[in-house]
Amino acid sequence: MNVSRRWLRAVAPGLDLGAGEIAARLAMRGAPVEGITDLAAEIAGVVIGRVERVRRHPNADRLSVCEVDGGNGTVQVVCGAPNVRAGTCYPFVPVGAVLPGDLRIKRVRIRGQESRGMLCSARELGLGTDHRGILELAGQFDPGSPFAPTVGLDDHRLNVEVSPNRGDLLSHVGVARELVGEGGIRLAQLPGAVEHELTVRTGSPAVDGAGARVRIDDPRQCWRYMAAVVRGVRVGPSPEWLASRLRAAGAHPINNVVDATNYVLLELGQPLHAFDLARVAGPEIVVRGARQGETVRTLDGERRELDEGMLLICDPERALAIAGVMGGSESEIGEGTTDVLLECALFNPKGVRAVRRALGMSTDASYRFERGVDPAGLELAIRRTVSIIVATAGGESAPTLLDACPRPWRAPVVTLRPERVGQLLGVRFEAADIVKLLEPLGYGCRPAAGAIEVTVPGHRSYDTLREIDLVEEVARVHGYDRFPDSLGAFRPGAVPDDPLLRLHDRLRTILVGRGFLEAHTTAFAPAEEGEVEVLNPVSAEESHLRRTVLFGLLQAVEHNFARGAADIRIFDMGAVFGADGSGGLPRETNRLAVAMTGRRRPRHWSAGDRPWDEWELRGLAEELVAAVLPGECLVEPGTFDSTFFEEGCEFLLRAADGSVVGGAGKVRADRVDAPVWAGPVWGLELELGDGVRGRPDPVIRPLPAFPAVERDLALLIPESLPARQVLEFLERGGGRDLAGVSVFDLFRGGDVPDGSRSVGFRLRFQSERRTLTDKAVDRAVRRLIQRLKEEFGVEPRAGAADSGR
Amino acid sequence: MSEAGSLVDELRALEREAQDAIDGARDPAALEQVRVAFLGRREGRVSRILRQLGGLSPEARPAVGAEANRVKQVLRGALEERERRFARERADTGTPARDLTLPGRDRWRGARHPVTLVVDEICDIFARLGFTRARGPEAETEWYNFVALNTPLDHPAADEQDTLYLKGGGLLRSHTSPVQIRILEQYRPPVRILAPGPAYRRDTWDATHAPAFFQIEGLAVDEGITFVDFKATLSEFARRFWGPGTRVRFRPGYFPFTEPSAEVDVKRRVVGADGSVEETAWLEVMGAGMVDPAVLENVGIDPERYSGWAFGMGPARIAMLKYGISDIRMLYENDIRFLSQFA
Repeated sequence: MNVSRRWLRAVAPGLDLGAGEIAARLAMRGAPVEGITDLAAEIAGVVIGRVERVRRHPNADRLSVCEVDGGNGTVQVVCGAPNVRAGTCYPFVPVGAVLPGDLRIKRVRIRGQESRGMLCSARELGLGTDHRGILELAGQFDPGSPFAPTVGLDDHRLNVEVSPNRGDLLSHVGVARELVGEGGIRLAQLPGAVEHELTVRTGSPAVDGAGARVRIDDPRQCWRYMAAVVRGVRVGPSPEWLASRLRAAGAHPINNVVDATNYVLLELGQPLHAFDLARVAGPEIVVRGARQGETVRTLDGERRELDEGMLLICDPERALAIAGVMGGSESEIGEGTTDVLLECALFNPKGVRAVRRALGMSTDASYRFERGVDPAGLELAIRRTVSIIVATAGGESAPTLLDACPRPWRAPVVTLRPERVGQLLGVRFEAADIVKLLEPLGYGCRPAAGAIEVTVPGHRSYDTLREIDLVEEVARVHGYDRFPDSLGAFRPGAVPDDPLLRLHDRLRTILVGRGFLEAHTTAFAPAEEGEVEVLNPVSAEESHLRRTVLFGLLQAVEHNFARGAADIRIFDMGAVFGADGSGGLPRETNRLAVAMTGRRRPRHWSAGDRPWDEWELRGLAEELVAAVLPGECLVEPGTFDSTFFEEGCEFLLRAADGSVVGGAGKVRADRVDAPVWAGPVWGLELELGDGVRGRPDPVIRPLPAFPAVERDLALLIPESLPARQVLEFLERGGGRDLAGVSVFDLFRGGDVPDGSRSVGFRLRFQSERRTLTDKAVDRAVRRLIQRLKEEFGVEPRAGAADSGR
Repeated sequence: MSEAGSLVDELRALEREAQDAIDGARDPAALEQVRVAFLGRREGRVSRILRQLGGLSPEARPAVGAEANRVKQVLRGALEERERRFARERADTGTPARDLTLPGRDRWRGARHPVTLVVDEICDIFARLGFTRARGPEAETEWYNFVALNTPLDHPAADEQDTLYLKGGGLLRSHTSPVQIRILEQYRPPVRILAPGPAYRRDTWDATHAPAFFQIEGLAVDEGITFVDFKATLSEFARRFWGPGTRVRFRPGYFPFTEPSAEVDVKRRVVGADGSVEETAWLEVMGAGMVDPAVLENVGIDPERYSGWAFGMGPARIAMLKYGISDIRMLYENDIRFLSQFA
């Protein structure tokens, strides 16, 4: 809502505050000011200039040479305006001053005549569009005095942010009320405007008088419809006081009749509409729902197709306007209009909202109706509009105001308990204190037993219907800053810390410790990366919800590749979505993804580069799975998502119960747009379930009392036999004293036959009861070799088996 | 001669031979060859004798074993002494053995995302005020996102958040406030929770808008919670987060699910390099208020007995202010040159 400081003062004569002070006070009332525009700043250099003499330019027919008194003696100015006259005052820009648009006025010669300054039109001053001549000032002023304050243009426009519950602040009176209270509001007498003797004729659902009829067919949507008739107007530009006031509030003057309705809209918050009476058949206004297939051409020139039931303002023959939203072009006020029918109505906010949303439009009127227009303010608004029209456009008002009122408004009464105020606010308020806070805003207060019966004024009757609403009013008017803020005792909450967020903490600690950077990707993905579709997406790239987190990480890898980064290690955790949810919602689970490429460690002068490989990935996967899932979990070769990972270079991550919880692998080359210098990209994706699971405390085993004995065993294993099977066989079959088996070597070629490889296993024997003898250990190893032969046909590599001690 | 005696003699001969070889070694490489020849684990001559110990009679074993160990010790000492002499000679000729001014082996430094840093810091402060963390789904129903939060869909307040809807039903939550409802359905007061997580709106990307952004919801519900508690707790948080001397301002605001509602602003004290103290402008940091009784009623909590307060904060915006980030898109580009600055 754009508010003019001068206009505020016009409706609240006692309000003598600067724009900054007004903004500070409104902020503490819940209506912060987003911006303040000094309307005179751009024309600060403009002064009053009086033209003393005018003569024809000797070398140009259309130009005059004027002697102008700009306060600093008389200077010669060449002027092209047809309306320049001696003895009259105009806005004058002396040499050196600046006009809007950063135009600095210089001393120039025009067709041989010196010109030292410029007389201005309204358009040149940014005051309007009139460029037919220079702006002639009615009356006499002191030459040289600053132009803006002299003619009343020194104003500020405040852009007030109004929350959706405060429709009452969408007017100058509403804003002023917050600053001075109801008692300080007095509408100014406008130039030439007089109160007309008008009698109100009420009827429901129809009423007639003043040579016209009004009928409401849909009282659910139209609560009240007032109409006035003014005959014999002359439509033309508004007088400057009216036009400049509208401009100060950011509105564009159109003509004197329409401007009068806009003036009252901005002053009182009541939308009005003027119809050309000659275009209203009957003349009769019918307020009814649209019929199937009905259309109306609105003021913006659009032909609007209406849904059945949308509320319309019609005459008996056709639709004239969309109620509360926009007028129609066929009954628009034009230069030929002589008789006007003025509408001042109250529509159901929800109905207006539904219609304007369905039509995809919003206007000053619909904006206010949606947020609630003062049901008690209609009569004042229509009377004021009539008097302004008669003052600015002439004509005569019919003596009767029509008032179709199927739903007379009654002020809501809300019971407020002072005790409840204290209970919620933490500060005790006496009933008398509460009354003092509420009454200035227009609330009527009547003490009752232990409570106050509060009558809500019309302008707050949409958002103040419950006791809690009044509690807020008390806090707001008392001032939030006046409540103490000393911390009292509290009970800790009963909700356990979320296990998934705790798991996030743990995984971050692991990955950050390993040198990974946490990325933030969004849940959006293009169609090929998601199953769940967004109905109203912003872009195709964000048209679905992702099914993997890795997808976003790979995009981030590409982003970094494109900026020359070769060494990338990133991870992210977040929700992924599947179409197979329940209760009308997608299935939503939380996942971790990791992506890395380039060197495992920063380059060092002492050694060459080592890139990430499948073994680093597998090790990381094992660590992460173990952090997520308690118990035995498994990483094994297998296909998790063939759209992501290269065949044959992919791991499956399994929980103890065998279920697949994720995958890891070498990212397919067609998945990442990589520069030629980039190394392979490795990725991992892991389901996080519900978060940290109950993990049994470790029970410590006693440390071994007897030494361990190691034996290395190199076995020739055919390529067709997975090494893991042999490893597991060794672990299982090594007897009670076999404490562990590890792989220490892998060798192909040399004496190793084709189709096989030599795998070196280190067996570690240790007993809890005695020192093992070489003999016993050797016997165990021999037995193992024998059984391996039987089970797999695997032999030790000749001469390579070592029995180091 | 006993088997023990001959082995002991053999060991002594080896000792002399090894001593000569050590003295005669010209450089560290030659010295290493000597070490391998005599003490090498597999082929070393002393080691080989040691390996025969097992075949000796129990009476002979201790004597030979002791002698073998002595010879080993002596030779090791001699090797080390010779090694030190090489090192001294190198130092004398002005070639240092190690230039320790060279850079060490660096490691990649990992980092949490700046938004995570802010979220964690906020959650840590509130944890000390008795709060735990909570979570809810990101795909929500209109009931949880709007209606239960006292926001009728036919009210202009629903427009403030341009919501993304999902095919097949549901929507992407436009704020973290639905977690209030989810938690209050599940737990009875006292409830003191923070719910960090993503929220979504139909915004196009620009310097200050993102269609997905982080929010932190805060909620406290218990008997006897007042507007004074609300102000006090959030002021306490603000002073802990933004530093002592931070001023906190509560302005009336509007949210359908809180009443009274407030906008919370902070003004920080910044100490300049020259020790001068300056105050920043007021920064809007959260929307907050007392939980609307209608919200409590929607989850079956008696608003005459219980009351509460709630807030919503944007950690992304706070991170931007804190770390001097001018464009919100930097938080989602995942440029490692940006992310690694938080290591």
